[in-house]
Amino acid sequence: MGAYVSLPTWWRSNDSRYRLVLGKCPECGAHNFPAEGVCASCNADADFEEVEPEGTGTVQAVTVISGGAPPEFDEYQTREGAFATGIIELAEGARLPGMFCDCDPSEISRGDRVEAVVRRLYEQEGVPRYGVKFRPVE
Amino acid sequence: MNEVYVVGAGQTDYGSFPRESYRSLFKEAVDTAVASVDAEFDRESVDEAYVGTLGVGGRQLGLPGPAVTEFAGLNGTATTRVENACAASGVALRQAVLAVRAGVADVALAGGFEVMNDVSSERTGEWLGVSGETEWERMAGTTFSGVYAQMADAHMAEHGTTREHLSRVAVKNHANGAKNPHAQLGFETNLEDAMNAPAVADPLNLFDCCPTSDGASAVLVASRDAAEELTDNPIRIAGAGQSSGRVGLFQRPSLTEIPATQRAAEQAYDEADIGPEDVEFAEVHDCFSIAELLAYEDLGFCERGEAGPYVASGATEPDGERPVNLSGGLKSKGHPIGATGGGQVVEVFKQLRGEAGDRQVSGLSRGLTHNVGGSGGAVAVHVFEEGWA
Repeated sequence: MGAYVSLPTWWRSNDSRYRLVLGKCPECGAHNFPAEGVCASCNADADFEEVEPEGTGTVQAVTVISGGAPPEFDEYQTREGAFATGIIELAEGARLPGMFCDCDPSEISRGDRVEAVVRRLYEQEGVPRYGVKFRPVE
Repeated sequence: MNEVYVVGAGQTDYGSFPRESYRSLFKEAVDTAVASVDAEFDRESVDEAYVGTLGVGGRQLGLPGPAVTEFAGLNGTATTRVENACAASGVALRQAVLAVRAGVADVALAGGFEVMNDVSSERTGEWLGVSGETEWERMAGTTFSGVYAQMADAHMAEHGTTREHLSRVAVKNHANGAKNPHAQLGFETNLEDAMNAPAVADPLNLFDCCPTSDGASAVLVASRDAAEELTDNPIRIAGAGQSSGRVGLFQRPSLTEIPATQRAAEQAYDEADIGPEDVEFAEVHDCFSIAELLAYEDLGFCERGEAGPYVASGATEPDGERPVNLSGGLKSKGHPIGATGGGQVVEVFKQLRGEAGDRQVSGLSRGLTHNVGGSGGAVAVHVFEEGWA
């Protein structure tokens, strides 16, 4: 097996996976995702203030993956075909990568407004793993 | 600071070689590097060896360094395995340079290997993309080509870069690779075919992507005193820069820049006491077409956002103001991950010594190599100059 996220590692990130909890830097005010480590903007090693974002954002970049998905998503790609994945900037300012759902993958473009929804991502070792995907805001 | 010289450099062909092993490929690269040294070269004179490999397939995940150096006649040599994804052997070279500068080694070897084509498609899927950010980027379904596709999408939106600009990189590098006997995809292509190839990760298509490759490379470096005994045609390493960067693209302030390239280049330029305008030719990390365009900007070859028009102007063609990827680059020559950085040095070494055969560009005296790990988590940049300092 190549790259792998263990179950304990997955579970410790549940606040980020379900609620997109951001870490506001007390030194410079930047929002960090995930909310750990030093501040990505000012390098301060300070306790972040936890901020739960409202869950909408803007697409900064997108690609449509036609084949060769990471093995975790093999089954998904076999079932659904090509899918879109990109980088979303939340209204509060932090960026994160996310898969798009509830739309035709070719419909998503940079600048589109999207909202986070919790979905089943993949199953490994018999355990389904959940997290957010993003769907277009009408 | 001790001066450091390249006294030999060699590589295998890149391609798919089911009858070879990672050890036999590495030995062939070392044999070729040793044969390229002007004077008689004694392998026992190698004080330090730095060997780059990602370890694709898991064939010898622990101790791959000693496993190849013992096989290549360097048993007992202090050997260090370097893992910095696709920048492994560029970083290995910098380690060799630092060892010679520090006076720890008079002669050092830097190289690398990768075997990527002997595993099933099921296992290949597990190994490609392992150098992306695993916890978030990969779990958003992002492939390695997908990350570069996102950079291409952003570059097109921010700077007006076009489908044709991307394909011009492929056409140029294939034309160069067609003249390189080591190249894996040593055939020419044209703009129409390159622009209309099947999609891989939109907007990138098949001709925007390098192949998966088997191969190895080896570079021999020496102090001034040792080099004077080994050659009358020295190539000096005038600058050696390295930087790390955020592993996930989403963690960087810009989606269209690789800060680690900018920092590594600045360090290499400072050491060489030059600016980007002084670089006569370069081997840059074109794992995807967009990566070569980003390299133009991050290395300072053109203004930010101008890489598309720059490649379209012909500036980086063999007869342009600054030829880039005369070897064919990763796109045409191939990309055996751990070997790539060392293989770039082989081309620069040959061009500066006038030994590049059909693809020789005359009058070159200063070249650069640029080797990127992942989508920018690690970068090594080296500047090479002909002659004694």
